[in-house]
Amino acid sequence: MKTLAKKDLIKAMNIWAQKHDVLSPTKTAPGDCIFDTFREKTFTLDYKKPPLSPKAVFFPHSEVTFKVEKNKYKEIVAAKKMLIFGLRACDMMGILQASSFMSRDRKDVYYNAKRNAATTIVMACPGPQNETCFCTTTRSGPVAQKGFDLQFYDVGDAFLIEIGTPRGEELLSAIPLADVDDSQARRQIEEFKQKAIRSIPEVKSFIKAMNKLKDGKADEKIWDSFGQKCITCGGCAFVCPTCTCFNVYDHQSSPGNGLRARTWDACLYGGFTREASGHNPRASQALRLKRRHEHKLLHFNEIDIQGSLCGCVGCGRCSDYCPVHIGTLEVVKAIAE
Amino acid sequence: MVGLAATFGSGAMTNSINDFDGADLFLVIGSNTTSQHPLIGSRIINAVKRGAKLLLIDPREIQLAEFADLHLRHDIGTDVAVLNGIMNVIIEEGLDDKEFVETRTEGFDQLKALVSKYPPRVVEKISGINSRDLKNAARMYAKADKAMLVYAMGITQHTTGVDNVKTCANLAMLTGHLGRPSTGVNPLRGQNNVQGACDMGALPNVYSGYQPVTDLTVKKKFEDAWGVAALNDKVGLTIIDMMIAAQKGELKALYVMGENPLMSDPDTSHIEHALSNLDFLVVQDIFLSETAAKADVVLPAASFAEKEGTYTNTERRVQISGKAISSPGLARPDWQIICELSTLAGYPMNYKSPVDIMKEINAVTPSYAGITYERLERGYGLQWPCINEDHPGTPYLHKDKFSKGKGTFIPCEFKPVVEMPDEEYDFMLTTGRIYYHFHTGTMTRRTSILEREAPAALVEINPEDAKKLGIKNNETVELTSRRGTIKLKAEITKRVPQNVVFSTFHFHESPVNMLTSPAYDPIAKIPEYKGCAVKVRRCA
Repeated sequence: MKTLAKKDLIKAMNIWAQKHDVLSPTKTAPGDCIFDTFREKTFTLDYKKPPLSPKAVFFPHSEVTFKVEKNKYKEIVAAKKMLIFGLRACDMMGILQASSFMSRDRKDVYYNAKRNAATTIVMACPGPQNETCFCTTTRSGPVAQKGFDLQFYDVGDAFLIEIGTPRGEELLSAIPLADVDDSQARRQIEEFKQKAIRSIPEVKSFIKAMNKLKDGKADEKIWDSFGQKCITCGGCAFVCPTCTCFNVYDHQSSPGNGLRARTWDACLYGGFTREASGHNPRASQALRLKRRHEHKLLHFNEIDIQGSLCGCVGCGRCSDYCPVHIGTLEVVKAIAE
Repeated sequence: MVGLAATFGSGAMTNSINDFDGADLFLVIGSNTTSQHPLIGSRIINAVKRGAKLLLIDPREIQLAEFADLHLRHDIGTDVAVLNGIMNVIIEEGLDDKEFVETRTEGFDQLKALVSKYPPRVVEKISGINSRDLKNAARMYAKADKAMLVYAMGITQHTTGVDNVKTCANLAMLTGHLGRPSTGVNPLRGQNNVQGACDMGALPNVYSGYQPVTDLTVKKKFEDAWGVAALNDKVGLTIIDMMIAAQKGELKALYVMGENPLMSDPDTSHIEHALSNLDFLVVQDIFLSETAAKADVVLPAASFAEKEGTYTNTERRVQISGKAISSPGLARPDWQIICELSTLAGYPMNYKSPVDIMKEINAVTPSYAGITYERLERGYGLQWPCINEDHPGTPYLHKDKFSKGKGTFIPCEFKPVVEMPDEEYDFMLTTGRIYYHFHTGTMTRRTSILEREAPAALVEINPEDAKKLGIKNNETVELTSRRGTIKLKAEITKRVPQNVVFSTFHFHESPVNMLTSPAYDPIAKIPEYKGCAVKVRRCA
């Protein structure tokens, strides 16, 4: 198996950056970590769980899908050759689930163009990145099982490199590497993985909540209490790696000129399900929250979940950022109780 | 702001947003917090969930009502009476903070004498709040260890706006809920930088940091700083005064920046007439607003994402905002437009960047002296007053003494809304904003998802009233005041009490300010958006 010495990482990144737009964990001036264009000066390996999953790489917050100029239609399918370095396993599973949804029965050309042009390097998690991590429960981490082009294991002075695809293998051709004995490497990876799994305890209420939902035994009243608190910001959907709903709108800049674009949407908004008549099948915030969480925990598609447990990948971001504490962890706890 | 300046010596939120996490009780009056300040609203909800008490005083059954331990639904415009009543009970039952009153305040005897005229039974007659609830409210607020009083436009947008604010301040002083963390009088500002605009002297009577234009020492200081001979030491006109002067033909030219008075000022017909009467109207905005469409010259400005600079938020925190994208077309940051205009007019302004401007702000504004660009770049902002570069900023005001020394009780008598409902115009119209739109909608109505959430103006009508008038939900109705008529859809809801209707000023299709009353507070010159008389009819 190949290894990359930590001291050579920057060199490798610079080599990759010649042929790719490299996105990597970046320290911002006030101290946050985000995925941003690789720059030696702001690159960091101490990045925990970035506040946003990299879903916007494939599914931008807003995106023009076609333009009309002087009455001429022009489709816009934008994609650049990207390399995302340092993905967490949960986010890799998020990409797998979203990609499946975006190509299962109808290929979303805008999404897939970007997905196909992107190479992924996962950084296996050595343990929980903060108190809301629960990928061991959703079977989406701490180590990625599939989907990646390369997966790195931090073993001190070096990274052990697991190759996922020929595209990943090709990335290795140009960078300085060393060899380690295969069986020793496998053993090290297994140890790494077991230690990581042990350090992220299973969230029992999550499983219990899924079962109660399946058996129709969940208390309906919890939705009312959450619905009363929800401020309808939609933030949970925006930080969620598997939420891919969008709204489409047209903008005419002058007669014969304009564009069609799509923007992120969220099922928490009333207008998401409101019909032209004014009738809304999800008439209250309680019902909308119920729908959102049941979609993740109960009504998910077996193909889309890509071998994980359900439509939630256990990244915990909704629990990290919901200003009124209606994240998945709080919801499953309420259902389980 | 004027009200707080008179009582405390400083017109701003006394405490900080983080303080909401530590309070034992919130008295929220005239603020639909979850709708207009949702992040502060969520802090209140979270605090209530951990055991804090919520005392809500609001005619409408807003979202916070679901969390309130006690909700007083007083009649519109009776805030002074209700708060005086609460103080009456507090003094009557000996719940006032005698040490605080003794050592930190002046004018208690006058307050006591005035509020003695507002016993619960009198207040009940004025406001509709029953004595038991009023007494409970008084006890809850007075007995709390750390109570935050929170208000917004429901307090200020009245002809008695200044009286309302002074009365809030009286109550906080009477109970000693001031000068400590998680207490205070906390006006939530309605726009991201309205605090900053006021701080920078975008008012007719002061330079930056509330230094009066009439003060000759201040005048000299600014003359020296700007290298000019004679700055005007007369107080200028408020918006209200300008519009009156324009209508009379005394004001000839108006330069409007980022404001849409044709939609946002009361009594639209009057504003329309005033603007048409001008010789010259300039509007500087990021979109062609209703007002800009009438202008002789439109100066395209850069949006928040297209420029850099600082904002000062509701908790007096100055924060840097960076440029994310380039401006379209000819749009430029406001400061560049102003500099060039000034230079063309004969006074060269040579600031190279917002950093240069901030240096001048530091030099001429004592409360901003230590808020340098360099320090702001290193962290999450600084709260004024911040008097020098070593000063950490001020999370809460009036710690050991008030800005003006002792806090002054300024007792106020109750005065009703100027235009009360009568036989012909039998409903009270109150106006405000909804969650999904900001002000006159120049920005939010161009945002597809927000427009989908709230595509049209609604008027909230109580089910009992709707029944009487034969109005069905979602049916188009006609609202008429002495000044105009608009058509919009009815939302039948118990959120509004009987005989009151509520609507918003976001929608140019149903401009509610066609109806609102031009009456205004004599001191602050803020219009009475919160109450005027209308009649409601089904559209045949």
